[in-house]
Amino acid sequence: MRRLVVTALAGIALASAAPAQAQDEAVQPLEVGAVAPDFSLQAGTRYGVLAEPVHLSDFKGKTVVLAFFFKARTKG
Amino acid sequence: MHAYRDQYAQLFNDGQDVVLLAISGDSVEELSSWARDDQFQFLMASDPGAEVGKAYGALASRPGMTNRNLFVVGPDGKIAFVAAPFREVDPTAYTELAAEVDKLVPEEE
Repeated sequence: MRRLVVTALAGIALASAAPAQAQDEAVQPLEVGAVAPDFSLQAGTRYGVLAEPVHLSDFKGKTVVLAFFFKARTKG
Repeated sequence: MHAYRDQYAQLFNDGQDVVLLAISGDSVEELSSWARDDQFQFLMASDPGAEVGKAYGALASRPGMTNRNLFVVGPDGKIAFVAAPFREVDPTAYTELAAEVDKLVPEEE
């Protein structure tokens, strides 16, 4: 019985710790010096949608500015 | 985005050795049509699941929201400058960005 209680408490502790940690990870921006994670995203230009996705690695040797924004057709 | 368009030459070396990629959760069709209507000269990328936003920590605390967060990746593939958030109404934010990008761009002959 005692063992069961301990297990249950540990379960609660884990459950309450996990979401907080996940949120921190989502909010904390990468820092200067970190290796920029590669990605593959559908992209477009003013001339239309590109047939192939873009990857960070496509631009190796260049400076790449990643500007995250909330919504298209907003000011700023 | 309009400030980036209007100051493209100063901020992003007019695209020489610099790639600007604007990222949001909008569809790629929506982003392209906005770029066409407003004549953006840079790339726009669609991150509908916010996977890349999460990987960079570019998401705001409100679920599903992305602040204007900006990362400059140097030619070595490492983060060289972070503006999180990028203060888009503050003129010094642009001066600072231009200076950081300038440091990474090779000198012209």
